[in-house]
Amino acid sequence: MDVGAILLLILSALILAVLLILRGRKGPRPKIRPLPAFRDLWEEAGYAAESGGAVHIALGGGGLNGEDAITSLAALQVVEALADTVVSYHAPPVVTVGDPTLAPLAEDALRRAYERNGIPELYDPSSVRFVAPTPVAYAAGAAHVAATEHITANMIGGAFGAEVSLIADAGAQQDQTQLAAAADLRALGALYPATDRLAVGEELYTAGAQMTDERRYAVSLVAQDILRVILVLAILGTAGLAILGGW
Amino acid sequence: MTKLIRRWIPSLLFATLPGLTVLAGYLSPDPVLGYLRDRLVEGAVIVAAFAFLLGAFNILRVHGGKIGHREQGWPYSLVLLIAMMVAWIPPLLQSLVQRPQVQETLDDVTHALFNYVIGPAGASLAALVVFTLTLSAFRLMRVRRSAGAVLFLLIVALVLLGSAPFIGLEWLANVRDWIINVPGMAGMRGLLLGVALGTVITALRVLFTSHRPHSEF
Repeated sequence: MDVGAILLLILSALILAVLLILRGRKGPRPKIRPLPAFRDLWEEAGYAAESGGAVHIALGGGGLNGEDAITSLAALQVVEALADTVVSYHAPPVVTVGDPTLAPLAEDALRRAYERNGIPELYDPSSVRFVAPTPVAYAAGAAHVAATEHITANMIGGAFGAEVSLIADAGAQQDQTQLAAAADLRALGALYPATDRLAVGEELYTAGAQMTDERRYAVSLVAQDILRVILVLAILGTAGLAILGGW
Repeated sequence: MTKLIRRWIPSLLFATLPGLTVLAGYLSPDPVLGYLRDRLVEGAVIVAAFAFLLGAFNILRVHGGKIGHREQGWPYSLVLLIAMMVAWIPPLLQSLVQRPQVQETLDDVTHALFNYVIGPAGASLAALVVFTLTLSAFRLMRVRRSAGAVLFLLIVALVLLGSAPFIGLEWLANVRDWIINVPGMAGMRGLLLGVALGTVITALRVLFTSHRPHSEF
């Protein structure tokens, strides 16, 4: 592996560890930059649930054992963050997954939300649905759920390609509140026309910090921002040196 | 003490330790670490295979429930369950019957299922994406009439037209190449670097047990 990658990994680990130790438990919650995609999302989900419909959360075709594992874990934070809100309105969310390894985690997140709200008996395991293992078939199945199951809010987050357009289109046709978060360029190109609540690229990984009060998520977002500044300075410095060296 | 055990032991044993071992196996040339890494990755593949079994049960539960309660669209659920069962039969029989002639016939059936049912159905669905993308573009102009939306559509049109072999409009191909190679590539690099940073931080959070998606504690 490249030495630069190892150094970046060690630097990231050091910054995150120091921040978690210093700001993880004590002091005021670190301030984070607000992202338009996540603004007022709780209220929106609450209104959607109040209107008697369900909230659909599409987690994409990624699983826990592939290259999309971290993207899928980041998307799972949307379920963790929204579960309490929609469960407290007695509006069962529908979570669709395209890889069965993600289903137990999503089921667990929902079950815990029902337990926290004191209504564990209302938890329905079929709220989490494994739709299909191929991306296009998954998108078509999730689009069918969004179009036919009295859904009022459509949350799309995770590993998708251009086929995500099928889900977003189903949501737009039903005039649903839509949030989308994706890291793949093809998915972003397909989602941009469909919703103005679009978390682009790395913003997907900030879902936990934006949607919950958890300090650890806010701290990790601060670490991410510090690393970004270091990376930008390194790129500009290297480019400057290359230009000077060329002269 | 109980909370400490319930919180830390599972996270350290099943998240941090295997994660660090696999990472060390990729970073270090040490053969022992490499061996441990391979065994752990094999274990993950086996767990994923069992997850597929859980996925099949999930499909049975969801669609079986729809059929049982005669919910809207239940005939589709019935077709899905029958198709799932039928697709399982040839590979199952292949593992049970060892006669070469039967094996060959079952092989043909499996290939036919893929070539004449699953493949064309997937291709048709993929073709639908073109229509939904075009519809989204129309909807964009109806719902969001902003400078950004106009620029987005203009670039889409230029790149699409630049990919077509129009005689006399070769300059469009040059414009397309410039859009892809200069602003497109710069944006993509920035986006990918951001995604890489997000991935690293999220992964480290799991390794540090700061994020425990598997646990309430």
